[in-house]
Amino acid sequence: MLTTLKRAALGATTAIVMAGAALANPYADYAGTTLVVNFPAHPHYNAVMKILPEFTKETGIEVEVDQLPYLKMRERQTLELAQDEGDYDLIAYVVFSKADYVYADQLENLARYFMNPKLADPNYDADDLIDGYVYNIGFAGGNKGYLEGKTGSLFGVPYGSETSILGYRKDIFEKHGLEVPETYEEMLDIACKIPELEPGMGGLSSRAASGHHASHAFLLHLAPLGGRVFDDNWNPIVNNAAGVQAAEALKQIVDCGPEGATSFGFGEALGSFLAGDTAMFLDTTVVAGQINDPARSQVVGKVGWAMHPMGTRRGSQTGGFGIGIPKNAEHKEAAFLLMQWLTSKAGDKMVALAGGNPSRFSTHADADVNAKFPHMATFGEALKHADPDWRPIIPVWGKINADLGTTLSKVLTEDLDIQTALDGVAERTKAVMDEAGYYTWQ
Amino acid sequence: MATKGINRLTPYMFMAPAAIIMGIALLYPLGYMVYGSFRDWNPSQTIGESEFVGLKNYITLFYDPAFRESLSVTLTFAFAVVFAELLLGVGLALLLDRNIRGMSILRTLFILPMMIAPVVVGLMWRYMYHPTVGTFNRFLESIGLEGVDWLGQHALMSVIIADVWQWTPFIFILSLAALQSLPRSALEAARIDGATPWQQIIHIKLPLMMPVLIVTALLRLIDAFKVLEVILVMTEGGPGLSTEIVALRISRTATEFRELGTAAAMSNYLLILLLLLTLSMFAVTKLQEARAARLARQIQEED
Amino acid sequence: MSYERQNPAFYALLVALIFMAVGPIVLMFANSFKLDVDIISGTSGLLFLPTIQNYETALCDVLWYEPDHIDFCALKFGGAFINSLIIALVSTALTLVIGCMAAYALVRFRFMGRDTASLTTLMVRMVPPAVLLVPVFGLWNNEFCIGKTTWLGSLIRESLGGRGDVCLAGTHSGIILVYVAMNLPFVIWILQSFIVQVPRSLEEAARVDGAGPFQVFFKVVLPLIKPGLAAAAIFTFRIAWNEYLLASALSDRDTKTVPILIVNNMSEFNVEWGVIMATGMLLAIPPIIFTLFASRQIITGMTAGAVKG
Repeated sequence: MLTTLKRAALGATTAIVMAGAALANPYADYAGTTLVVNFPAHPHYNAVMKILPEFTKETGIEVEVDQLPYLKMRERQTLELAQDEGDYDLIAYVVFSKADYVYADQLENLARYFMNPKLADPNYDADDLIDGYVYNIGFAGGNKGYLEGKTGSLFGVPYGSETSILGYRKDIFEKHGLEVPETYEEMLDIACKIPELEPGMGGLSSRAASGHHASHAFLLHLAPLGGRVFDDNWNPIVNNAAGVQAAEALKQIVDCGPEGATSFGFGEALGSFLAGDTAMFLDTTVVAGQINDPARSQVVGKVGWAMHPMGTRRGSQTGGFGIGIPKNAEHKEAAFLLMQWLTSKAGDKMVALAGGNPSRFSTHADADVNAKFPHMATFGEALKHADPDWRPIIPVWGKINADLGTTLSKVLTEDLDIQTALDGVAERTKAVMDEAGYYTWQ
Repeated sequence: MATKGINRLTPYMFMAPAAIIMGIALLYPLGYMVYGSFRDWNPSQTIGESEFVGLKNYITLFYDPAFRESLSVTLTFAFAVVFAELLLGVGLALLLDRNIRGMSILRTLFILPMMIAPVVVGLMWRYMYHPTVGTFNRFLESIGLEGVDWLGQHALMSVIIADVWQWTPFIFILSLAALQSLPRSALEAARIDGATPWQQIIHIKLPLMMPVLIVTALLRLIDAFKVLEVILVMTEGGPGLSTEIVALRISRTATEFRELGTAAAMSNYLLILLLLLTLSMFAVTKLQEARAARLARQIQEED
Repeated sequence: MSYERQNPAFYALLVALIFMAVGPIVLMFANSFKLDVDIISGTSGLLFLPTIQNYETALCDVLWYEPDHIDFCALKFGGAFINSLIIALVSTALTLVIGCMAAYALVRFRFMGRDTASLTTLMVRMVPPAVLLVPVFGLWNNEFCIGKTTWLGSLIRESLGGRGDVCLAGTHSGIILVYVAMNLPFVIWILQSFIVQVPRSLEEAARVDGAGPFQVFFKVVLPLIKPGLAAAAIFTFRIAWNEYLLASALSDRDTKTVPILIVNNMSEFNVEWGVIMATGMLLAIPPIIFTLFASRQIITGMTAGAVKG
């Protein structure tokens, strides 16, 4: 009832504005529409929540946000996108959902919108979007189905791009004359030295809890150490030397980590760093805002940032979210306008200033943003080394991920032999891939 | 004639609403689940679009080490909690079966834990078990001991403790009620004969309470298979699969792995297991009732 | 009535037991009034400056003012609380009326199919909610729907808004239906033992005065089994109020209940202990009130439920 009233009132206002100005306002046709969007409960999207009122003020388009934790969000979307007519006009999706949604033909191809002169903003400057993320998050149908390639096209725009970065306690490193680690060897060495130097403090806090968390932590080390989940013919190679090395690194980190590290999810891992219980933190860039928030963090001002250490190569993760328009959405065009507004140069800067993760080169170089967040320059540098292939984004990944995560958790808590564990994962993965038809052409 | 017709229909009219609702929302879904368990079915499909695969889901599950593990976790959890709760609950009941001031307040406070939402119980214990912030480790550290990795190395035990906390009062209250309804004459007679408190407990109180205890234990056992939220909130089944009970695995298979057919087959396995338990509950109850009646008669005759 | 005197060790044990039973709840209560920094640092112990900030964050959608410390209202606890109330109250009322009638029929009448009905009721009592997850999810989303082009479907869509076919999933009625079905076996079971105790002579007297079977039921039987009804009501309410799994599969963004909100809020990016404890406390308050005021009925109900095999 209230929304109807509001709608009516807004409609009237816009009508007046249009009659008065009769100017070409690209938003005019859609003013008064209420978009229903599905966003994750995530620091970047919390920043988005702060700038959304600005969008409504500027365009007259109302936005109703359904914010869910990201794994829940994925479940909800699975259901919503399968309906003939869905509730959501715009969704944010986790990187690894890309494969599922595009494969099931549930996301709009964005070509139609960027072609439409009434909708596409000529000053959008798509080249300014960070390439790696556009391909990683928005692109589908290229090489291997999920990478950059001539056969691919765009189904979403990266929004809330993350990469991995090393946070370290400047005060602790200074006190003991430690060098900021450049390589994996140095990092592991320091991680295990810290508990000796600072009794009660853990070396590096990492996620390790069963399932997605353990798998994520493992993959984080796999790419820099030169490993991959699959070779070019989709044969699982997680159990090769690099894979074993990555699992050993993870185990060593957890063993030298804070108390209870084996049950840490992302929240606990970050919490322990925020509480000053660990000297280092290696995970997504999204944490910067919380580390500088005195209400949640006891290490404000004590944290320095460095690049994800090198193994045999640089290979920080690419992750985060993209936004796309569901095939079954009601207000697709207005949704596109919101998407464009959010990811435009102005929108990207606004959300960065509100504490979000920018997705554009220009925002990372922006003077205002850097003045407010000095770490932004390091983050921008890290983005250049982000590895889009650190995790395969294929429809069966969810299942493999779950298996990998629970098996690794057993390695961490039940002392399962690493080689045996990874061999098991490889064998089961092979079966999953076979069933999904990846070996049809061999 | 007319009244007679109405009379014959009356019970059906009283039964109808319940029958209809249970039919639509309980029995039909169960049938639907059995049907679905023979199909390769994902959440984006309707059941009609899914493919018939025969017994494949059941066979895969039977040889699936993860499912077997979660089955064994479930059984360990269920029997461990019931055993611990029975021991504590009955023990406390025997101890507190006295005529003291404030007993009703005590009982009221005791039933608080079981009235609170499992979700809330889960989050309370997750906080208390927290490796650094949590109450237990803080306490241990303050008295100079080392903290325990509650939800890591000892996750299953920690989850069991939380359930014992929540449900021991249930057994306590029921055993107390059973104790207080025992025939006073039998106890009186035993006391006059010079039986020690221990002899009274072992030879008179426990045997007479047995029927109630067995029913209570079986009720708890069936309920223990329904536990989900507490574990979900505390550990999400981890670390590894160490606390992944079947109920949680069903929900993960359905939502995270997107395999509704397999989840349905899993539900069926669980249902069969519970069916066996319920049937044994019936059998045991009937047996016990007969024995208790005989026992009561004997005691009365001795009087 | 005289009370026995006990030795001090006995009272010490009592105090310890009470502490163990209530301690965690008190702890949660205390923490819900602390800032996260205080909870994490933990140095303050019991001495801290209480703040209602956590409750403000939780209830931001129903507050008449905007709390300073939050930038936008993320939690919308108020709405979820209302959903929980609607669902729990309606399903409890329905379960009681329907269950009571069925129990009466099972106790007082001999009819064909009585034994089957009685046995079925007993058997389905053991079905865990997790087993219902898959079928209920499939049925409520795909089968129990009214096409939006049908007369009723279009009427609902026009009056209530929303899109697509009108399905049970995502509505209050959908969740209520499962809860009623889930709770019925228990209620029927527990009420039978109360109805048996109603003296037949009273009913017959009423019948002689010309009352029909329904009048006898509502005017004579119901008032006499009030304690049983109270007990059954509390247990049904408790399950409907606390349930998470099925509600989370069936609710959409407008019909979320409080347990879903709490689980969601334990999202991995922010473990905001203070706010979580506050929401937990709010969810726990109604059952706690019940327990404090109706503990006798609860115990009666528990005993009746277990003793009657």
